[in-house]
Amino acid sequence: MTNNNSNLGPKELGRHVIQHAKEYSVCVGCNACEIVCSLVHEGAAGQMLRRIFLERDTINLEDHTILTCQHCQDHPCYEACPKKDQAICIEADSGIVYINEADCIGCKKCYKACPYEPKRINYDTVSKKAKKCDLCRNREAGQACIEYCQVQCLALSEADLGREN
Amino acid sequence: MKRELCGYAGKILRVNLTTKEITEQPIWDYVPKYLGGRGVANKIFWDEVKPGVKALDPENKLIIMTGATTATGIPTGGRIVIAGIAPQCYPEQYAWSGMGGWFGSELKYAGYDGIVLEGALEKPGYLFIDDQTVEIRDALAAGIWGLYTYDTQIKLESIHGKDVKSIVIGPAGENLLRMAIVATANETAAGKGGFGAVMGSKLLKGICVRGTGSIKPADVNKVLELRKTMGTPGFNTNPIKESPKFFGHGQEAEVEGGLREYNTTCSHGCNQHCPRLMMDIKSTTWKQERMNQVSKCVGPFAIEWKYDCAWMPAQTYVTEKNNTAACAMMSGAAPPPDFSDPEIPILFDEHQGDEYNFWGPDYNRGMTINELCSQYGVNKWDIIVWLMTWLSMGNAEGVFDDIDFGMEIDVESEDFMKYMLDMIVYRKGYYGNLFAEGMSRAIREMGKEKFGDTIYQQRKSRRLGGKQLDIPISFEVAWGYSAHWNGRGYEGTVPLDTWLPIAVEMMTSTRDAQTNTHHKDTTDYIHAMKTDPYGSLAGPQSVIMNETKSELKEAITTCDWQLPDMFWMTAETELFEAATGAGLTQEEIETAANRIKNLFRAITIRNYDRTRQMEVDEIVPFHRYPDADGICIDEDGFNTFVSNYYRLRGWDEKTGWPTRETYEKLGLGDVANELAALGKCPQ
Repeated sequence: MTNNNSNLGPKELGRHVIQHAKEYSVCVGCNACEIVCSLVHEGAAGQMLRRIFLERDTINLEDHTILTCQHCQDHPCYEACPKKDQAICIEADSGIVYINEADCIGCKKCYKACPYEPKRINYDTVSKKAKKCDLCRNREAGQACIEYCQVQCLALSEADLGREN
Repeated sequence: MKRELCGYAGKILRVNLTTKEITEQPIWDYVPKYLGGRGVANKIFWDEVKPGVKALDPENKLIIMTGATTATGIPTGGRIVIAGIAPQCYPEQYAWSGMGGWFGSELKYAGYDGIVLEGALEKPGYLFIDDQTVEIRDALAAGIWGLYTYDTQIKLESIHGKDVKSIVIGPAGENLLRMAIVATANETAAGKGGFGAVMGSKLLKGICVRGTGSIKPADVNKVLELRKTMGTPGFNTNPIKESPKFFGHGQEAEVEGGLREYNTTCSHGCNQHCPRLMMDIKSTTWKQERMNQVSKCVGPFAIEWKYDCAWMPAQTYVTEKNNTAACAMMSGAAPPPDFSDPEIPILFDEHQGDEYNFWGPDYNRGMTINELCSQYGVNKWDIIVWLMTWLSMGNAEGVFDDIDFGMEIDVESEDFMKYMLDMIVYRKGYYGNLFAEGMSRAIREMGKEKFGDTIYQQRKSRRLGGKQLDIPISFEVAWGYSAHWNGRGYEGTVPLDTWLPIAVEMMTSTRDAQTNTHHKDTTDYIHAMKTDPYGSLAGPQSVIMNETKSELKEAITTCDWQLPDMFWMTAETELFEAATGAGLTQEEIETAANRIKNLFRAITIRNYDRTRQMEVDEIVPFHRYPDADGICIDEDGFNTFVSNYYRLRGWDEKTGWPTRETYEKLGLGDVANELAALGKCPQ
């Protein structure tokens, strides 16, 4: 595991944001990851604007779970998009699958194709656009969620980890 | 058309529980003039709740307000305020209570800055807000009436989805205990005031909300900057800490299997993690044998209480070189002291707490009491700081020799405390009903002279080499609230120059003011107070500064453990501006705080006949007992302090009432007119 915020190297397809084991650092459930995610991408904070998802452990507080896009190597979201390479694209150098909102028609096919439950793609019912983690590919400082985690419990995976079980 | 600002959701939800009428009101009716939070609550209460209404009447309004920073990502902005006539106050008065958690942000994401509840349901219910869909649901059909606070939240999640956030009451609120809390998450609550009983009187078990909208702060870059800089967060890992025992205030408690804990966060968007999460505690009420329990300042005293906690001036006073927020101290993120600071001897002059010998160490007993208070939904201050100490002291002095509570008094016994809590929360028998009315009323009913004012003979000052000092068996200070940084009693080792302004802050309030106005200043204040603590204007000036900061904390909203920052006095203005873009200057923000304070003052004058005589008489008696240095209040000196404070506030020195000029300067001419008609607005 690494906490390196540097830009992704070429062809490291499959790298994604991970949550450290609680033996290393316990997530405090502050929602900073969700908040800064939506702020840097959308300029506002809100549940439908985030690309990272904190499942709160309401009472015991010990098992807050952070759910992220796994950047699957077979990218079913990309494959499902009727406007692939326009609305949903793959960055050539890094392999990051990202959404180009200007061309997103809000059909939710990418959302439905996401193999995880809960889904790792968000859908904004106001703008009718899908929202997906792009690993802050255009952000010089790297992934905002990792940078702003006050207890450093987020990191970028070392290499492709494949899908979660 | 009024300008709409960033930061706010835009609407207040109004629910008449009697008629089931649900309406919306623009927040712009109240902001930016009253900022948000408690400022808006004060204005609504002033306009809508006239004298004569009782706390548990349907006519009492329960006002739940967020601040402009809530849900924006500004650190500590997750807090909300709950206000209305508070049954815990003695006598009943308008009060408020702040609370963290995740409810406020979710409410704003649902599109509401606040909720105003009035009337009462005919049968137990709860409010379900699913974005703009608002419904009153049946609490009996949902199976939540009668449940503990944690169980209620979990049940609501099972009904409405894991992503909902709830504020709820427990059996204490349902049974109208005057010290019932409104609870959320684990150990987060609006603890003061007894607003759980107000919800109970309205047969409202809780409010459950899901919000999928968004809130846009005016200055995103500033918000991101604040997340990195405000309170100097450590950005270090948060590992589970293990220790063989619980270390209290001079005593160690054995912990079966060792103590495991880490720090956690108590509200949405906070950039600090000050509360301790005690792991794997034995559970009495929870569905599993072991559970985790958040622990803040009061809770650990249930584990052991031989000595009162020590006080370090650095907790209250700061210099530019040694200026650390309380939250950073708690989480361990604070840097080591800067020993090049010439004020080090003052800042780190530890004041050892008085010896009381209330009860010996027992981790399981203490954590069980904490758990029961949280699950029942009852204010720990009334139970741990007041009921338990009173039982301990009264028992030692023999005042209960003719009393039969149904079980032999033994506060060191877990079984006895479980018995007492069960008796009180479910109002069993005469004493259950009596203590459910809160300590201040129960003691008066039993006879205050014997059951309140009897002197406990075993208080020993470690500041004075073990000298015995008088203290009454009841830690009552004022307005129905127990001791808290008052120079004697709980957290009572602060010296005269510190408990004096704290006394005035509590005097002008309607409740314990030290959970939202933790007194703070620079060491310059200590020097200024040295020769003439009662006559120096530094005292009243410090009170006004702290009260101004306190109003802002609960209007904007921010957390008492992070602000004010004595070397960043524009913090609140910057936070408000980052959220709203309203363009208010520092002076305008401070004027708004002053407006909120004076409107609160007007409420106490109009609705509760508040006068100088009344509030001085209320605050002085507890301070006649010696502090840890053996010093009692100088009543003439205190009156000088109060006169100076009133004059600086623009309040009439004889009555304590704000003058017309003061109201009008603050844009409260209508308030002045109404009070003038009552003969309560001096020219």
